[in-house]
Amino acid sequence: MSDSIRVVIVDDHSIFRSGLRADLDETVEVVGEAADVPSAIATIREKMPDVVLLDVHLPGGAGADATGGESVIRGSAPTTARFLALSVSDAAEDVVRVIRAGARGYITKGSSGVEVSKAVHAVAGGDAVFSPRLAGFVLDAFGAVAGETAAVDDELDRLSAREQEVMRLIARGYAYKEVAAELFISIKTVETHVSAVLRKLQLSSRHELTVWASERRLL
Amino acid sequence: MSSSAQHPLVPLARPPRAVPPPRPELTRARECLISGTAEGLARHLGVSTGLVRAMFIALTVLSGAGVLLYVWCWVFTPWEPGKSAPSRKAPVAWVLLAVGALLELIMLQQLGTGYMLGVYLPDLGVDGSMPMLLDLGILLLGPVVLLVGAALWADLIDRIDPTRGPRQAGVVRGIAVVLLVVMVVAMVARPTGPVLLLAPFAGLLAMFASSLMHRWRELSGERVRRIREEQRSEMAAHLHDSVLQTLALIQNRAGASSEAARLARAQERELRAWLYDGDAPADSDLPTDLRDYAGALELDYPVHIDVVSAGLSTERASGELAAAAREAMLNAARHAGGEVSVYIEGSTSGVDVFIRDRGAGFDLDEVPGDRLGVRQSIIGRMRRAGGSGTVRSDENGTEVHLRIAGAPLRSEDA
Repeated sequence: MSDSIRVVIVDDHSIFRSGLRADLDETVEVVGEAADVPSAIATIREKMPDVVLLDVHLPGGAGADATGGESVIRGSAPTTARFLALSVSDAAEDVVRVIRAGARGYITKGSSGVEVSKAVHAVAGGDAVFSPRLAGFVLDAFGAVAGETAAVDDELDRLSAREQEVMRLIARGYAYKEVAAELFISIKTVETHVSAVLRKLQLSSRHELTVWASERRLL
Repeated sequence: MSSSAQHPLVPLARPPRAVPPPRPELTRARECLISGTAEGLARHLGVSTGLVRAMFIALTVLSGAGVLLYVWCWVFTPWEPGKSAPSRKAPVAWVLLAVGALLELIMLQQLGTGYMLGVYLPDLGVDGSMPMLLDLGILLLGPVVLLVGAALWADLIDRIDPTRGPRQAGVVRGIAVVLLVVMVVAMVARPTGPVLLLAPFAGLLAMFASSLMHRWRELSGERVRRIREEQRSEMAAHLHDSVLQTLALIQNRAGASSEAARLARAQERELRAWLYDGDAPADSDLPTDLRDYAGALELDYPVHIDVVSAGLSTERASGELAAAAREAMLNAARHAGGEVSVYIEGSTSGVDVFIRDRGAGFDLDEVPGDRLGVRQSIIGRMRRAGGSGTVRSDENGTEVHLRIAGAPLRSEDA
């Protein structure tokens, strides 16, 4: 592995792939591209990238209600690659489904190349990427707004008080660094909290997750 | 025919006015006895409804001319404009049903006896089986037509009447079917011509056909809705895959605050609203209102506003909180630009709104006293509304925090 991050872009629009490829900064190396689910799985097997930039909606997904992005993550299951979901204006339902399938976060396609590169670095380092919208959604879905707080940290269906604080600041548009400064904790601790929230989002069986997701749109 | 042409011909009871006021249009009243025809005609002619009804009845005696005129007027007169379903005072279906049942009783009693309505037919010089069959047939048709008429009236006309509805239709139809079946059974039990059995069967068929027509109408309506929905989602999928992607790419390539990116973003927002929120009711709650306002600001200023909301907000878009939030967003767009985050959190205890920008920041104490924006429109306004407004600013940007408590808001609403 070299010092630059190896990335595979999976999107069914060639114009978007080439645009993104041109925009990513030099610390990110694009080693492959794919346009549908089977070719994406094959490319990920072959190139073994660090990060996969994955469109939520892809052709060739298995099953009628699968979004495609989900199928790619499940299809390339034993892999070291980490997934970052890309979306244009998808229903929260679809984004949450891809995250629950294993993506480490999501960013919008309107994000600039610098933002995408930053997110790629974060995901490659094992961190989660939360947009303000996703943070707002999480606060809503885990009942934090209604005042529900986890009594113990490993409770899956609720957020701890600290996690709520972090999510609230992210929803207000704070970067991790600013969250850390605001709460007088280290950036590493912020990242730990965010990863914990992501884990809860992936593992929780809270029924509101799907209800909220189908009623609302993240974008 | 104009009214002036009638004057020399028809002497009116009242003295003719010099300038007759314009007649009300010939329309059928929605609050009516049977069909609204007589009411409408009376209103148009300026005479009493009773007189028009009497005229129809009188004309009916002249070999049925009144009935024909009535039906003719009924068919060609539109309902008066309005949205409410017409409501009829007369229980037409029940009257038809009652008369039909009565006639059937008489008929069944005299079936095969040679009597018709209490008159012994051979007395009238009617004999032989053929003419008797014919007469019996006419006697049979009476109750059948009335019963079928009752069922059809209840099913097709009274169904949309809010005071009667489908329940009455079901009852009337049920009774009509039972009466027809009784008629068939009685006719089979007694010696009558098999041809006569056709009449009640035809009646049953007609009733059945009317309910079939209902189903068919429902079915075709359902099909049209489904096709429309399919087309819409197909179109949404296509636009999502092509136009929205391109718009995202344009924003991406043109740079966050360039003119092209702003236009693309506005277009994207509009398209997305059309694609996904088309069916949702346009409720003007706080998040929706601030989102719309953010869209408008993005068109006017080089700014990218991200509105996130969590929780359910009872706050109205017209409230003081919304006004203060709009002012803060305008300030952020005007003075800071770039990326602005708006976060709305509504809980049972109150509503919080955060507006954060990445501008150079300012010192609230150094703002001259004659500048009213922040002090009056935001902080002062929130204080007057019973909430609070705080502004925190440093070199990394400015954050305005607006808060209003839930409890006093509710008592104000009550």
